[in-house]
Amino acid sequence: MNEEYLRKLNTCIQCGTCIGSCFSGKVTALNTRKILMEYIAKGKPVKEDDTIWFCVTCYACQERCPRGIPLTDILIEARKELVREKGLPGRLKNAFGFLAEYSALVPARDEHAKLREELGLPLYHSQFVDGARKEVVEIVRKHLGGVVR
Amino acid sequence: MKFFPGCMIHNRYPGIEKALYYVFEKLGIEISPLEGSSCCPAPSITRSVSSELWEELAQRNLKLADGETVITACNGCFTTLLEVSEKFGAGDVRHVAEFFYAEIGAEELKKYVEKRLPLKLAIHYGCHFFRPSKHKRFTSPERPKMLDELVEVFGAESVDYRYKFMCCGGGGGVRAGATEVSHDLLRKKMDGIAEAEVDAIAVICPLCMNQFDNGQKELRELGGEDYGIPVIHYVQLLAIAMGMDVEDTGLERHAIVSHSFIEKLVK
Repeated sequence: MNEEYLRKLNTCIQCGTCIGSCFSGKVTALNTRKILMEYIAKGKPVKEDDTIWFCVTCYACQERCPRGIPLTDILIEARKELVREKGLPGRLKNAFGFLAEYSALVPARDEHAKLREELGLPLYHSQFVDGARKEVVEIVRKHLGGVVR
Repeated sequence: MKFFPGCMIHNRYPGIEKALYYVFEKLGIEISPLEGSSCCPAPSITRSVSSELWEELAQRNLKLADGETVITACNGCFTTLLEVSEKFGAGDVRHVAEFFYAEIGAEELKKYVEKRLPLKLAIHYGCHFFRPSKHKRFTSPERPKMLDELVEVFGAESVDYRYKFMCCGGGGGVRAGATEVSHDLLRKKMDGIAEAEVDAIAVICPLCMNQFDNGQKELRELGGEDYGIPVIHYVQLLAIAMGMDVEDTGLERHAIVSHSFIEKLVK
């Protein structure tokens, strides 16, 4: 975790506004404060806590934090460290596989291309433009070489 | 101006794009598709893996616009392109809803309405429309009014409902990565919407649309609730109010189709 984030995390007054604002925390075991303080500020990287992937990144906690701690940004940073150690969780691996193959996290299948055609719309997303697709796929593979095949 | 479709509009809900071109033509604003553009890429999920990838793909998309204003109709694309354009001082990025509100204005939009749509709507802004708010100063993230006023343009009523400002449950990679959690969030949100007895859910983001539309279908198929409440993008509603055939908006190709809602729109 970078120094600036650690310094900010350590200004936390444990008021609980973050978990009080957390939509995901209402239906899951996601405990933003616990993840950020226990695991990160105390220097224990998040290794096993899958609840970190339950954050919808609505930014409510970050925007309401009275100490101005960029909680969502830090949580995303923590996810990144987790990915480096453990790889992507299964279903997200598929999504990035699509990005690395089709240049789209949500690629079109035949039925979707057909719907565009029925509406009289051209296929111009890079998925359908050979040169553009190649260009994007190269960028994706350059950055995600170790994460997706 | 250039329209940036992103994956969700280009590949899932192209009716939004069709409606958007219709509205812009009526308004006399020239707009064309940003050809060869890719996934924006989605802000939270991509940054959860590589910020460098997020920035490089976004910059490539921005560069394609060659200095023209980029219009999006998706909250995720908006966040990505806006933040990266600000960071590198390159490109002008607008979300179609705030563009209509700030640049055209509700009063001016009213002049183009050919058909009033006296509907009861559950409005859903979507988290990334106004947050992170340091990049989006056009509205309050706590008490936004913009969309409520925008639906009044064609005589619709924005109905207050429980959990109005709650996330749809689709963002942050949760829909793709933790589907059960995403369904639990959707159920909570939908219970609030169902209580309010609305004609439809109005969104300004195709990811939220997919979560409400396909998400309702999934909840039903899992043997749970059958809400059957149709979902429509604001641009589709505005286009219909400006005279577009309902059929051309792709509404009948959504997962949740309500014939009584379509009848109200056609009338």
